[in-house]
Amino acid sequence: MSGRGRGTAVPRGGERAFVLTGATGFLGGHLMAALLERGDRLVVLGRPSKSVPLAERISRFLDWSGQGDRRARVEPVEANLLETDCGLSADRYAELKARAWPIIHCASDTRFSELKRREITEANVHGLRGVLGLAANSRTPFFHYISTAYVAGSGRSRCPESPAGSGPFTNVYEETKARAEVEVRETCTRLSIPWAMIRPSIVYGDSRTGRSTRFNAIYFHVKSLQFIRDIYLNDLRTNGGRKSREHGVSLDADGVLHLPLRVFLPHRGRINLISIDYFVAAALVLIDRAEAGAVYHLTSDKPGTPDELAAYCEAFLKIRGLEIIYGPRDGTALNPPEALLNKFIEAYRPYLADTRSFDRARTERATSGLRVPELTYESFARCMDYAVRVSWGADLSGSPWPGGS
Amino acid sequence: MDDVLTTAKSCRHYAMCKIDFLGSGICPSGPERGYDSFYPQGRMALYPALAEGRIPVTAKAVEIAESCDLCGKCDYQCYFITELRPSRVMKELKDFVARHLSSGGAVERAPEDPLLREIRAIVGREWAENDRGILVAYSGDPGPLTRPRMPACVVLPETRAQVASLLKLFHERGIPWAVRGNGSQNMGLVLSDGAVIDMSRMKDLVFDEKNWVVRVGAGVSAFDVQGEAFRRGYRVNVAEPAALVCSNVVCSGIFSTFMPAYGTGADNIVDADFVARDGSLFSLSDKAAPNLFAFHPTDTESPGICTGVSLKLHPTTTDETGILVPFDSLEKAVGFAKDCSVRRIGLAITILGPEYVSVFLSPTKRQAAEAKEIFTEKLGIPYLVLLIGDAHAVRSVAEMGHPMFDQRLFRAINLGLPSLRSARWLDLLGGISADEPYAYLKIPGFAEMAEVALSPSPARLMEDVDPDLRPFFERLYARPEMTDLVWLNTFRILSSRMGREKQFSVNIVYLPLEAKLIGEMIGEFERVAEHHRLKHDLGFITPIDEGKRCVLEYDYFFDQNDPDEIARTRLAAMDAGAVIESYSARLGTIRWIRHVVNQGVSRSENLLYT
Repeated sequence: MSGRGRGTAVPRGGERAFVLTGATGFLGGHLMAALLERGDRLVVLGRPSKSVPLAERISRFLDWSGQGDRRARVEPVEANLLETDCGLSADRYAELKARAWPIIHCASDTRFSELKRREITEANVHGLRGVLGLAANSRTPFFHYISTAYVAGSGRSRCPESPAGSGPFTNVYEETKARAEVEVRETCTRLSIPWAMIRPSIVYGDSRTGRSTRFNAIYFHVKSLQFIRDIYLNDLRTNGGRKSREHGVSLDADGVLHLPLRVFLPHRGRINLISIDYFVAAALVLIDRAEAGAVYHLTSDKPGTPDELAAYCEAFLKIRGLEIIYGPRDGTALNPPEALLNKFIEAYRPYLADTRSFDRARTERATSGLRVPELTYESFARCMDYAVRVSWGADLSGSPWPGGS
Repeated sequence: MDDVLTTAKSCRHYAMCKIDFLGSGICPSGPERGYDSFYPQGRMALYPALAEGRIPVTAKAVEIAESCDLCGKCDYQCYFITELRPSRVMKELKDFVARHLSSGGAVERAPEDPLLREIRAIVGREWAENDRGILVAYSGDPGPLTRPRMPACVVLPETRAQVASLLKLFHERGIPWAVRGNGSQNMGLVLSDGAVIDMSRMKDLVFDEKNWVVRVGAGVSAFDVQGEAFRRGYRVNVAEPAALVCSNVVCSGIFSTFMPAYGTGADNIVDADFVARDGSLFSLSDKAAPNLFAFHPTDTESPGICTGVSLKLHPTTTDETGILVPFDSLEKAVGFAKDCSVRRIGLAITILGPEYVSVFLSPTKRQAAEAKEIFTEKLGIPYLVLLIGDAHAVRSVAEMGHPMFDQRLFRAINLGLPSLRSARWLDLLGGISADEPYAYLKIPGFAEMAEVALSPSPARLMEDVDPDLRPFFERLYARPEMTDLVWLNTFRILSSRMGREKQFSVNIVYLPLEAKLIGEMIGEFERVAEHHRLKHDLGFITPIDEGKRCVLEYDYFFDQNDPDEIARTRLAAMDAGAVIESYSARLGTIRWIRHVVNQGVSRSENLLYT
């Protein structure tokens, strides 16, 4: 639709205010911190939890992100988006809808597991309905939906900044996000609520500092390789390395571990990665300036290749022997570490050999001057150094951030 | 209580020191003298009785103390099971008696007794005793329902004729008696104010391979008959290794993980010889014999003494192996166990919780606690189904699509257990199991990868064991059978570790193999235990009779030296009994172990369905 306006650029009374969901997640958390940093007010809708209340979860993230002193500008509201009126009391809900603030819906279940279809659908589709209900009841001035570039489906080579495709989808995550986009578009259009879709690709940590609170996707590959490497290093250093030799693994004179591992991908392709700092910067601009009824791709214009990523991994982990094999697998059997690694990356394989390209013309127009940081070895190493330092999120579990990944 | 006294009073009375289950040899004075009192188990009862002044130093007490040469074999055996070091007790016992003698202390001589003279006339002078130094070993057990009872005498017959003469004598004189196997049974049933008949001298073991039977005397342990059967290429369905087979058969019927293939009750018996309570003889196969094949769901007096049993010999194949199939819910585990039973896949099937798997695998309590955390927290495995079968059975399970810990992986995990504690790579396994729980087990070469990662070795496993015992245990675990699921299930030497942390009281029921009902009953047992503040856990669930029924064991744990905990366990046992009775009356399909006592040779059909 062509909406009533453009984003939510006009502050009321000198300050902007939003209703935000997903603020305890990776994207939403960073967005929350950035919105607060620029002086906005937020109502954060989040799941209740018996162990750590929403307010505490928010505080921990803000402390981690250096915005702890702005927590007073956040109003946490424990809500169940699957229930009528978001599970809030009539008074509370009435109070919330009376504010009529723009909504940024960031909450999402990013798991790929078919076994978790019910939970993922609940979070990504049914939960959305609760937020759309609030949007309708509050006559929100704008509905921003944080989607994914992969709603395009796997059947096309060029993905325009236009409504979601109808599949086929790689997994239940993509499928439910596409369903959600349809619901956002149809509901908001019917109710004349201006809307926009922001579609990031795969997001990693901060390209400048390396910091992150989530360590899946690209991190999972590196973590898998690191653990396999460490298993062999331990075997070589403490057990004489008999098994290592059987698997063709050895420690070279320069201290680099020769670890022959083939990763099998169906065809050549690219991995579309953006950093969290780019996502936040672009999202802030789009929240202010998005055209109603528009779709924006926050994707890399220079996505890397699996070979480049493999080279980064080798350099970072001080290993050699990692080889990407494209095309149908030959008949040779996998050695045990190869079998393990290929199983580890299985869920991500479609994203490692992606032949799609994402149109970014509208995004570039709206975010002119913002460049997507290229994933160089330096930024890669920064991110992985941080990940290792916090034990892939395990050491974030106490203070300041619970359950990093 | 000092450490030595605590150790002595912590003896579990499992009688594992009376069988050579580690190949280390056993206390030599035991087999020489026959009486329980000359085994470490007996000395563990004698020392506290002397130290606490419950009995005086007697002539036999001196003999018992002096018969120990402090060889330390009991430490190997007892540490393996309970982590206790009985040799310290043996040393204190010897020192106590030596101090008593050197200070000119009196030594009590047992009084002359006309009845004892008659008993000795039947069994021989040295095989009946009324010396309290001997008797004290037969006077108690660490069960929660038991009150100590000092017998008037202990007698060890050697033949069926001697047993008949004894029972005739006792019958005529109205002498109460109890018959006893190797251990002390922990339900008070082997205690008596009159005579205790210790059957351990009746060691006949005769194989009749043409007829696929082995005749087992009343003094033969499960471990010994299984060992000889295994050597000849057979298997017998027997229970705890130290249990005397005849006692076990009559007392509770045999239940084992092999029940899905071999059945229970009379299923495993070709014949059995009895001496009735009046001293008359009968065998099960006699036309005029009492009908012991029937089952009545009531408390039943023993039919007499079983002096020998002819057990079925079951064939084995060289491709038998074991697997552990993990499940994330009881419902799925029961479903799988039932499916295998209905399809007759596998010889042994049992559902285990992480508590027991961890306890069985671990040489120490500390390691067991860590292993349990790894199974539950890191691997997310609340239930494991153990299946022993041939190559066809295991292939069938794989074709059913189940991930499994095969024999090789089991060995790697067992011997590499300490490495699991720090294995950060376990964190990754959840990531690849999102769409199929435990999918990593299907990765080709996973077991080999686990071997690299865990560096399994006997030395690794024994890191936490007392340093002076490590060399022995490292040699022990270098033997392949110690990590062979088939051998371990056939000989069951690990199951006694269930009582390592604390003594336990069992709730055993026979019931339909239905997840909902089993879940309900487990819930009831849990509720009772929580109410009485007792540690509790699932023992096992084993299918019987093509998956129509199963045996469920649920255990309550208690400190046998804590009167308050014992009292609470007693109350919990009564409450749990009431639960069983209530379900049994309501459903008509549930039997419990209490009523099987003394009806162990009933037909399984009568036990389960009438």
